Amino acid sequence: MGAEEHCKMASNLRNSSLQKWSIIIFASLLGFTLFILPVIASSIYSFQKPGGKGYSFISYTWLLHQAGFFPSVGTSLKLAVLAGILNISLMVPTMVYLNFTGQKLKPLVDFICILPLVIPVVSLAIGAQNAMPSFLQNTQYELVFFFVIIGLPFTYRTLDTALQAISLKTLVEASRSLGASWIRTIIRVIVPAIRGGITGALFLTFALSIGEYTITSLLHWETFPTWTVVASQQNILGAIALSVFSFVSAIALLATVALFSKKGARQVGVDQ
Amino acid sequence: MGAVEAQSRVRSSSRSSGVLPLLPFFAFTGFFLLWPVVAVTLKSLKGKNNEWTLDNFRPIIHSGPYFHSFIVSIKLAIITASIGSVVGAFFAFVIVTYVGGRLKNVLDSISAVFANSGGVPLAFMFIAAFGSNGLATKFIRFLGYDIYAGHFTIFSFTGVVLVYTFFQAPLMILVFQPAISGMRKEWREASTNLGASALTYWRRVGIPILLPPFIGAFFLLFAGGFSAYATARALTSGTVSIVPIVIGALVDGNTQASQANLGASLAVGMIVVALVIMIGYVWAQKSTAKWRQT
Amino acid sequence: MNKKDRVSSTLELRGVSRNFGPVTALDGLDLVVAPGELVALLGPSGCGKTTALRIVAGLEVATSGELFVNGERYNEVAANARDMGMVFQSYSLFPNLNVSENIEYGLRARKIGSAQRAKRVAEMLELVALESKAKSFPHQLSGGQQQRVALARALAIEPRVLLLDEPLSALDAQVRSQIRDEIRRIQLELGITTLFVTHDQEEALTISDRVGVMSNGRLEQIDIPDVLYNNPVSTFVANFVGTMNHIPTIASGDTVDIFGKKIRVKNSKGVNGSVSALVRPESIEVTRTSGSGNAKIITRSFLGASSQIICQTAEGAVIQALMPSHESGDLHPGEDVTLNVTLNEVLVSHV
Repeated sequence: MGAEEHCKMASNLRNSSLQKWSIIIFASLLGFTLFILPVIASSIYSFQKPGGKGYSFISYTWLLHQAGFFPSVGTSLKLAVLAGILNISLMVPTMVYLNFTGQKLKPLVDFICILPLVIPVVSLAIGAQNAMPSFLQNTQYELVFFFVIIGLPFTYRTLDTALQAISLKTLVEASRSLGASWIRTIIRVIVPAIRGGITGALFLTFALSIGEYTITSLLHWETFPTWTVVASQQNILGAIALSVFSFVSAIALLATVALFSKKGARQVGVDQ
Repeated sequence: MGAVEAQSRVRSSSRSSGVLPLLPFFAFTGFFLLWPVVAVTLKSLKGKNNEWTLDNFRPIIHSGPYFHSFIVSIKLAIITASIGSVVGAFFAFVIVTYVGGRLKNVLDSISAVFANSGGVPLAFMFIAAFGSNGLATKFIRFLGYDIYAGHFTIFSFTGVVLVYTFFQAPLMILVFQPAISGMRKEWREASTNLGASALTYWRRVGIPILLPPFIGAFFLLFAGGFSAYATARALTSGTVSIVPIVIGALVDGNTQASQANLGASLAVGMIVVALVIMIGYVWAQKSTAKWRQT
Repeated sequence: MNKKDRVSSTLELRGVSRNFGPVTALDGLDLVVAPGELVALLGPSGCGKTTALRIVAGLEVATSGELFVNGERYNEVAANARDMGMVFQSYSLFPNLNVSENIEYGLRARKIGSAQRAKRVAEMLELVALESKAKSFPHQLSGGQQQRVALARALAIEPRVLLLDEPLSALDAQVRSQIRDEIRRIQLELGITTLFVTHDQEEALTISDRVGVMSNGRLEQIDIPDVLYNNPVSTFVANFVGTMNHIPTIASGDTVDIFGKKIRVKNSKGVNGSVSALVRPESIEVTRTSGSGNAKIITRSFLGASSQIICQTAEGAVIQALMPSHESGDLHPGEDVTLNVTLNEVLVSHV
């Protein structure tokens, strides 16, 4: 290595701060253009009066006067809440059991839980049309089960991370040796310890369910997203307002989740 | 970690009481996930008179539009997964390297929102932003470039690519971040200490380690781009003929039995493509695991 | 680059400082490591020892001061041109390369031909006794084996200086002493100038020619282990190296009273009032008394040739003594004893 190169390397060390800031600035600009600009642009757009002159809440209030608005929002909320609860009731015991026993079947469960990301939802919907018994096909509550399926990949990861962060074995053995029953152990010891993970899984399923369109539309049910598409054909500004509203709500919702799960993890980490 | 895990596995296998507690999970996923897949496969193999046949798959191979829809879908998946994975990997690198603490949590949450944003709202937001009168369009025009000067419209294939990138790149940020965080500072320093240049480090250590998770993430993005329906449907009202939209049109409303069977065979075609992707994904994960630090 | 050209190097630091913003991590370090010498920098975390090592390696830039290798100024030499082999705390092996490939990494970077590389790798594997693991990946090795590979990799390039950054701290106690002795054996065999950073005083004392004790970015004392142990210049060094009793007492003038005996104070001349006298366990003599002594035995632990005796004085201070086992066999818990200090002068610290 020549002297010239020595100098170059040394000056590289000094220039690294310059390099760092140019990367950060470039990333910020790119991030702004790709992700923030569309959100800002559509937000402003949603407040434009039809015709483009001036700003108002008119597109937002238009929604409230539509016949389908409240019923479809109600349906979506109801289904999403049910999906969240069902998801938790199914997955918390499953994940606790898998993590506690170190089951050989964990890779299989892991595989099944990633399938909903891989199997096209459209295919799942067509399959559901053919596979579900008619008593299920006749009720909108059939969607709840598929919302749970779609939420599996995220629920699995969230709960698994939360369970691995705590010393599950020690907690269970301590609780059991003090005479607590299994049910009591799960409810009083494990659930509080992974509260963050459970909240996260719940909210994720809820959020996914609220926005689910593919299965809902292919199974011909009317929820908030399918209603939005229909409504957009009458009033695109209304649909945009609706979209901005739901997107911003989603940011608020998931930011809350992030806050919750961070807090939960920290408490568990320090106290136990 | 590995030793501890192995130990606990040995200890607990004697105690584990079998699969009974997992029965609800297997029953649920069996009925609502696997059975529909089996059912759609069976249906795709049935003819008009309920006889077994492969006829339903004929149009996919022979008929232009259906074959073409697969080409369009795969093209869309490859393009959006490529852009998404490169852009997302860059952001993941910047976030891991330069951002810490509270801001990192915020960025991660925002990425999570954006990654899951693929849906109806996204389509309308992009119409508002990048439609011919959209505010982002006007803003860019103000900066001196008219994106509508050529053939671009937000309702076209290119438009769909643009919108998909919006959720593919953040998904990549989430998926790829652990791989970058796993790169230890000591490797870079040891390489320098041993007299290697930065280029040598990336060629011999950095890229070989990051490539498998990158490919794995790419496959995941491909799967997402390939099967996404809602955004494209809401954005283009079905004019861009990707497979999910073609299927949607086939099974929509009053459908004839033969059309339903064709829809089923298209759905099975999608599953086949997805499974190929899954195999790639599993392979990539395996290669990653091979070097994993214990 | 050939072995015959290579003679052991001298490493010299002159007034090397490093500030991180307002924090001074390293404050004017002067240090000369003679050819073939192993010098340890010992200190608690945050004392600046790792910063010093990283400045020598070129991974960190000194805010001021100079660095020389064989009299040649090294400040401006790039980290990848310094020819210094470094062993990190842990996880520094390239996980995607097997043991052989790890060891030859530096040789490839030097564009050395494959035949010569293979020969060198074989030599290194033999040196660290890992011939059978040549094709293993790092994750298939134990922690101790990984560190031996890291050592082989650092030595393969025939470095001017060997830098060891807490190479043992991630290992189990048993493996630790084994690798420690192996490092020393190899270092002596190759006669390579070595700078060794550690927070473990036992490690430092057992394998180093000289040990430098650091605190708050400064070198408190540097000397051979015996002198550090028996003649610490400051209370910090005394406390950090070996076990130390803190016996509460009163100082007047330049003497303190320990168990009824007046002993000269080595530091802080003219100190009056409450102080702690620093006395090593082996400088305390425990004898049985027929009447009431000045302390009571709490426990006696047999350690082999010597035994550890824990006593409590009438004032309540707990004192640790170390005596030959054959002289302390008749000491039992609960018995009254008399403590004596077998020293002519002591270090004291303010309470």
